[in-house]
Amino acid sequence: MPNKKFNTPKLANWLAAKCINKMYLEEFLGDLQEIYEDRMLVKGKRYARFMYWIDALHLLIGFSSFSLFKTQSNNTMMIKNMFKIAWRNAIRQKQFTVLNLLGLIIGISISLTIGLFIHHETTYDTFLPEIDQIYRVNQPNIWSDWTAQMSNTGPNVAVALREEVPEFEAVTRIMSLGSQITNYKAEAKKDKSFEESAFFAVENNFFEVFPFEFSEGNPKTAIEAPNSMVITQSTAERYFGYESAIGKTLEVKQWDNTWQSFVVTGVLVDVPSKSHLQFDVLVSLNSYQAQMDRDGWKWIWTAFGTYAKVNDGTNMAVLNDKIQAIPPKYAPATTERIFNQSFEEFTAGNPWKLTLQPVKEIYLSEEPPYNAFGPVGNPQIVKVFIAIGILVLVLSCINFMNLSTARSSNRAKEVGIRKVLGSERGTLIKQFIFESTLFVAISTLAALFIVNSSLGWFNAISGKELLLTPYLSQPVFIAVLLVFVLLLGFIAGSYPAFYLSSFKPIQVFKGKMSAGFKGKGIRNGLVVFQFTISMTLIICTFFVQKQLNYTSNLDLGFAKENVLQIGNIEQMGFDTERLKTELAAMPAFSKVGKSFGVPPYVDSGDRYKSTEPEAPVVALSNLRVEADYLEVLGLEFLAGRNFDQALTTDKYKVILNEEAVKVLGWGGDDPTNGVGQFVALASGSEDKFEVIGVVKNFNFNSVRQEIAPLIFINIDNDKVWDYGAGLSFYSMRLNPQVVANPDDLQAVLDKVEASIKSVDATIPFEYSFLDEDFENTFQEESRMSLVLNIFTVMALIIACLGLFGLAAFSAEQRLKELGIRKVLGAKISELVVLFSSEFTKLFLIAMVLASPIAYFLVDQWLSDFANRTPIHVWVFAVSTLGTLAIAIVTISYQSLRAAHKNPVDTLRSE
Amino acid sequence: MKNKGLGEFEELVLLAVCILKGEAYGINVKQEVEKHSGRSILLGAVHITLYRLQDKGLLKSEMGGNTEKRGDRRKRLFEITPSGMRQLEAAQDVRQKMWQLIPQLNAGR
Repeated sequence: MPNKKFNTPKLANWLAAKCINKMYLEEFLGDLQEIYEDRMLVKGKRYARFMYWIDALHLLIGFSSFSLFKTQSNNTMMIKNMFKIAWRNAIRQKQFTVLNLLGLIIGISISLTIGLFIHHETTYDTFLPEIDQIYRVNQPNIWSDWTAQMSNTGPNVAVALREEVPEFEAVTRIMSLGSQITNYKAEAKKDKSFEESAFFAVENNFFEVFPFEFSEGNPKTAIEAPNSMVITQSTAERYFGYESAIGKTLEVKQWDNTWQSFVVTGVLVDVPSKSHLQFDVLVSLNSYQAQMDRDGWKWIWTAFGTYAKVNDGTNMAVLNDKIQAIPPKYAPATTERIFNQSFEEFTAGNPWKLTLQPVKEIYLSEEPPYNAFGPVGNPQIVKVFIAIGILVLVLSCINFMNLSTARSSNRAKEVGIRKVLGSERGTLIKQFIFESTLFVAISTLAALFIVNSSLGWFNAISGKELLLTPYLSQPVFIAVLLVFVLLLGFIAGSYPAFYLSSFKPIQVFKGKMSAGFKGKGIRNGLVVFQFTISMTLIICTFFVQKQLNYTSNLDLGFAKENVLQIGNIEQMGFDTERLKTELAAMPAFSKVGKSFGVPPYVDSGDRYKSTEPEAPVVALSNLRVEADYLEVLGLEFLAGRNFDQALTTDKYKVILNEEAVKVLGWGGDDPTNGVGQFVALASGSEDKFEVIGVVKNFNFNSVRQEIAPLIFINIDNDKVWDYGAGLSFYSMRLNPQVVANPDDLQAVLDKVEASIKSVDATIPFEYSFLDEDFENTFQEESRMSLVLNIFTVMALIIACLGLFGLAAFSAEQRLKELGIRKVLGAKISELVVLFSSEFTKLFLIAMVLASPIAYFLVDQWLSDFANRTPIHVWVFAVSTLGTLAIAIVTISYQSLRAAHKNPVDTLRSE
Repeated sequence: MKNKGLGEFEELVLLAVCILKGEAYGINVKQEVEKHSGRSILLGAVHITLYRLQDKGLLKSEMGGNTEKRGDRRKRLFEITPSGMRQLEAAQDVRQKMWQLIPQLNAGR
């Protein structure tokens, strides 16, 4: 029995078994293993594996090609000969060789980078064993749009699944606790306090479903007891340095300013970056047993992620049907107790469907769009990048084909001679395919170097962490690369191979070079194709840029500039007046106001209706504010008035936006109809709230979305359930006269921080600017548009390289014609125009083709945005004419050179 | 294409096989040569040379001696043939004779 500890590389063994004669195999593998074991004990696994490969390959080369090179076999001679001819041709026409290689290298580098990116994005969570059996439970977005999905559920869903569905091996719940201030009281040392923003509460079976690796502690029991805590290695180092974390106590600040103690029972290896769950701290969910007992039955407490692991071999279709029986059975308790509505009334006929989503699909799924526990990818960007990678590769293949066939006249004589000497067509085809594969192989090697050295730059722009080197030692990657080289070599070489090998010797030697022009139609077609792609890409990137500019300059309905926001105010409890007084006294601020939530992240909402009979129930976003906050934003009142904090009767009044007045059904488009009406929560409570004002619509979420109906609730309204809950902020409008430069701003920030610290030193100071927050909602798009721009420029360069080569060829062909024209009196300018017009025609065709394609694509992309930049004709004109100009500059070098040639030189030889 | 003389590396390998007296196989030949020559050698090079010497009739071999360490695989044990021994001696002779013909060295001692 081979010793388990010494697992030799399987692929190397397989390769050896295939290539080495049976006679030698046993002793070689034996020797290899013996030496592997020795090396492993002395120098470690990495070195041993590396040397194993070296030795195995050496033996492979030694013993499989031993006979090959020794014997004077015909095959070897042919390969040698093919090498020689390829080399001579490459050297003889250096310009073409360089153009060919450059085009291929750029193309392969780009597609390789894109390939790495795609591989990174599509292999999230694959480190989990048995990933195919793990699912997340999604449900419709019960808060607004029932046709959309949301990834969070109520706590009771997991309980119901456990009771009703034996097919699940384990069902587990995760609750994100948002940011938590966590403190370590070290004896005789200063306290260490951090704000932990990736802080989840989980159940005991969490590690059954997600077996994250422990470095200390027992996965089975670590999170079992109340107040136990599992942290990642880097978190442990932050608090405890190099001391062991196990058994230490961390305190977590509660909403009422008390501290809850947790004992560290486990330390995890840091969560892999390619995980859709990203956390630093896990605590046991039963630490919050009181709250769970009180609210655990609610289906509308949608703060939980529900994950399930099914038994191996479960029929998913049957299981999916089975779990649909759960909401109608369990949810009515919630709808009846909280909303006083039957299940049917609450869902309004929409199916309350539970969906099982495979965990490996979560990162790149379009629906549901959010993930409360970690990052989400952008499937659209992945698709666009796949398309670009393939297009760029196609462009460089076309380049290769075009340049190879254009050179045909130069190689026609070689083909003729070889045919006369008895060469078969198959041999010639082999020769040409061999040459293109050689080119591709060399370019791929160069591309590997280029990508490896430029990935840091790509990472900086795209915000990813891609690395090439780990792939290089993976046999699968090497195999894929080999297949890629062979395939690309074949594709790029096939057309030239068949075309060049078809020459008839007699015609070639007679000097009839008709063959040289036969391929012209196809060549022109390929040039048109190339430029169609380039122009389409350019137009599209132009519009991406334009849309991004458009959104960042869009009128949001309020003045977003000069608004400073500070967070974590909720941690001060209810009494924040002292801080407000201090802030308001600063000359830097013209207005200070408090709110529970700030644009562009107003994500709380509830179900309301008008108090009129038969009124529809509608979902409104809600925002708790004080009167001053609306003044900080500078919202425009279309009717009615702002709150008056001095009037106690204003406590239960509300303000709506135009959209809300419309959906609540008070007489159409006139917003003034709203004032004086009453709204109530749809939960059937007795309380009703009078509308005292209507504001003009403004963007309170990302401008990606339509402006939704919104209700402002007075900050003191204690009859709505979320009173006192949620994050709160102070927003200040800066006085531009006082804060004129960055130094002033820094002074102001320092002063604000000092005020906060004087109220409570444990509260972290966090600030942001309203306009930057809006910009950040497009951060991913801005980054990707930059990458896109660069790739587009590269695509254009590839196309231009090909064009340059073709122009050079054409100039060579027409040298005599141009010479004669010159002798007969043509001016240089006329010759240049004549020469360029041949190509200009092609660009015009490409322009006509590219415009509608680009229009279609841009239109598709923009349809996702609520606020879209108009599709102007001038953009098409500018980008296509720009491309045309670049193309003409590219060929002008060749045309000028051809036109300037002295006719004596060009015509003398005949 | 009969090659009369021995290459330098071939000679080292032949000598190593003689030293190991019937126990010679890929790895210990490699170690032996490395030990005496002080340079590091690839396993493949040793194997290639062993087989070339066998093709020339200077070595013979048989399979035998499996150990657990090798994943229960047998090794091929090499032994020198009479003609191999003759070649070694011939090489030695040639050198000896030539050494004696170097005048300065003799005079210098």
